[in-house]
Amino acid sequence: MKKIISLILLFIICLGIIFCLQKIPFGAAKTKVGNYYIDNGREETGAANIVTSVVLNYRGFDTLGEVTILFLAAMGLGTVLATLHKKDKRQIEQASLILKTGCRFLFPLILLFGAYIFFHGHLTPGGGFQGGAIIASAFLLVYLGCRGRKINETSSKLTESIGGLVFLIMGLIGLTLGGHYFLSNFIPKGEINTLFSAGIIPIIYIAIGFKVGSELTGIIDNLMEKS
Amino acid sequence: MEFLTDNIYYIGAFGLIFIGLFIILVKHNLIKVIIGLGILDTGINLFLIAIGYINNGTAPIFSKPGLDVGNMVDPVPQALVLTSIVIGVAILALALSLAIRLYKHYGSLDLRKIKEQRW
Amino acid sequence: MVNPILLIIVPLAFAFALPIVGLISKKIVKYIPVLVFLFNLIISLLLIPKVLDQTIIVKIGGFHPPFGINLFVGPVGILFSALIALAGLLVSVYALSYIKEGPKEKYHILYLLLLTGATGVVLTGDMFNLFVFFEILCISSYALVAYFGNKAGIESSIKYLIQGSVGSSFLLLGIGLLYGQLGTLNMADIANQIHSISSPSIFVPMIFIITGLGIEAAIFPLNAWLPDAHSSAPSSISAILSGIAIEVGLYAVIRVIFTIFNASSFLMFFVFLGVLTLLIGEMSAFSQKNIKRMLAYSSIGQIGLIMFAVSLNTQLGVSAGLFQMISHTLGKGLLFLSVGFLIYKIGSMEISSFEGIGKKMPFTSLLFTIGAFSIVGLPPFAGFASKFMIIRAALSTGQLLFTILIGVILLGTVIEGAYFFKVIQSIYFKGNTDIIKSDEAPLIALIPMFIFALLIVFIGVYPDFLAKILNSAASEFINRIDYIRSVLG
Repeated sequence: MKKIISLILLFIICLGIIFCLQKIPFGAAKTKVGNYYIDNGREETGAANIVTSVVLNYRGFDTLGEVTILFLAAMGLGTVLATLHKKDKRQIEQASLILKTGCRFLFPLILLFGAYIFFHGHLTPGGGFQGGAIIASAFLLVYLGCRGRKINETSSKLTESIGGLVFLIMGLIGLTLGGHYFLSNFIPKGEINTLFSAGIIPIIYIAIGFKVGSELTGIIDNLMEKS
Repeated sequence: MEFLTDNIYYIGAFGLIFIGLFIILVKHNLIKVIIGLGILDTGINLFLIAIGYINNGTAPIFSKPGLDVGNMVDPVPQALVLTSIVIGVAILALALSLAIRLYKHYGSLDLRKIKEQRW
Repeated sequence: MVNPILLIIVPLAFAFALPIVGLISKKIVKYIPVLVFLFNLIISLLLIPKVLDQTIIVKIGGFHPPFGINLFVGPVGILFSALIALAGLLVSVYALSYIKEGPKEKYHILYLLLLTGATGVVLTGDMFNLFVFFEILCISSYALVAYFGNKAGIESSIKYLIQGSVGSSFLLLGIGLLYGQLGTLNMADIANQIHSISSPSIFVPMIFIITGLGIEAAIFPLNAWLPDAHSSAPSSISAILSGIAIEVGLYAVIRVIFTIFNASSFLMFFVFLGVLTLLIGEMSAFSQKNIKRMLAYSSIGQIGLIMFAVSLNTQLGVSAGLFQMISHTLGKGLLFLSVGFLIYKIGSMEISSFEGIGKKMPFTSLLFTIGAFSIVGLPPFAGFASKFMIIRAALSTGQLLFTILIGVILLGTVIEGAYFFKVIQSIYFKGNTDIIKSDEAPLIALIPMFIFALLIVFIGVYPDFLAKILNSAASEFINRIDYIRSVLG
């Protein structure tokens, strides 16, 4: 009975969407706003990657909200799992020699790769969020491979908070010193396609990279310890 | 047939959305419902990116000097999807932690048995 | 002149900094939300005269509106942010003595972020930014409902989470469909390009967006999560959820219907939906035995009343709806805060166990009574002034349909009075009459409740105090051409 009702509901939604999609042909012409960003993105922001300049400069406020939501997820997870006590101390089975050596060998390489991605966010595809996720996967490898080692919780919390605060402080400096707008690009833009270009964008992406990495690692740590 | 190959991305995205909605409405195992939430999020992200595509366009990155401006896809939906993926991750993390606590309290993940709060 | 963006940035900065403060000293963590919302309240009140003069548009990053995000600080925005700051301040003072167990530092971080999300929703001028701040509001409320970690809390939270995230997925789908057709995400720019909602390609995204926002705003078929969530959360959070979160959701629905889509033909449907919500809320509340579930159903009823008032689509109607929102925040906040300590001292949430508590906790029971009288709508309190304004607005349209619906609403008010009087009678007049030692709530908890009661009486006796700002707020909703012109120039 439930299945039939849900199928009817979905069918009605499907009809509505088909009517709507006739106005959005696939592969159609560019919109006004997208056109503006591609034409003027290089001079106004100095970043070669237009998606980065949209994410961090034109729509930087959304990125601030996104960073907040990730922070919220970590805090919410900590709240919900907080009063659980891990009752049984399961015997942690030691990993084999090949696994342990492989993990220890791969760990700095993955960290380096993640750092490369968020340092070059304004030149190549990628950025802070992607790099941070790769860094967290390196820590997950250590948790799963060389078992029994865990991160230092205090330094993880500190990195998280300082990363978020750097983003806000860069915005506030723009408010007071730069063009008197929040998040205005006040550092000189340099030459396009080099590492030190695009004003505040690489600085913010580095802060976001560290923050996301330590946050996702904190989530993994919480889940591994408390369940 | 032309219709199918032209709009394959839209059909795929909406197929995922409807599968996700169907799972959430019908299934009664909590983990399956959470997976359905994930599929719904993926479908919507795919739909958003498909809106921004221009025929014969390429990624909006000026990696070489002298790249043709007129041939790039719309960068705005890609920025929106970046934010939306992170929001989806946050919701999945919270949902899974609640599922862990729920299992500790009730001993089962069947949504038909977790109905202690009634009228 | 203070930049209104500080209303969002300062709570956010302190929420990021709270873990560091917690590492240094655990005792001062609970005082920080009090300071932050005091700052927010002072800034909002200082900005009110300037905003009534001319709306402030804050361009973020220095880019001109459709190419950058902007904040639209008009009379509605500043009124709501003052209300959010006031409620946030008083409930955080109450929480100084109410939250004693559990991960307290995370409670304060989540609390700051909930109210940051709410302030962001009312001040923003961009659709996707609305979605992001709306998600901040929703996710912190999912986590806070599960704060106590007991069976009821976790179950309510997971059901709230599933329904809420389906809602926000619909919202994102609607925004995507709109962007595909119109090519912009700025509210004023979208409003400029929409002339009527008769074509299905504009009607379908509107339905998706209203459904998505309506799940948080507790409109009739979408509010199955509300009784469970509001009754299992800690009482300070129930006060914020009932008083602020659902009203901010309803603000977003009103903004979408009036300013962006100009959907006057849809408003007739909305009128009936509002009256239906009111009746179902009041009738369900009448048969409840758990006091917090009763108050949660009463919130649903009040949302129905506000929906009815706003869909009258006249200046008087919309200002009456906004006035009812303010009196609902004050009244329901007072009710939940007083019930919090009553439950804590008695130890159970059943109404039958409240007998005779009026002598043991005289101040708290008196404050509960004031809150109840204000929600029902008795004379010297704010609820009477707002309901009277709604009735006056409906009668002044002169249409027979609205007069009949007013009769239905008065029936709902009578039911409301019935169940609240049942509780008050049980508190004061039943139970054994020998004098028991008084076991009152602590002074720090009584002060914010007392301030709520004072405001209710003040606004009830002198409602013209708010008349100017309510009128400007109503005309901001009704005259969308002014909105478009002040953003796009």
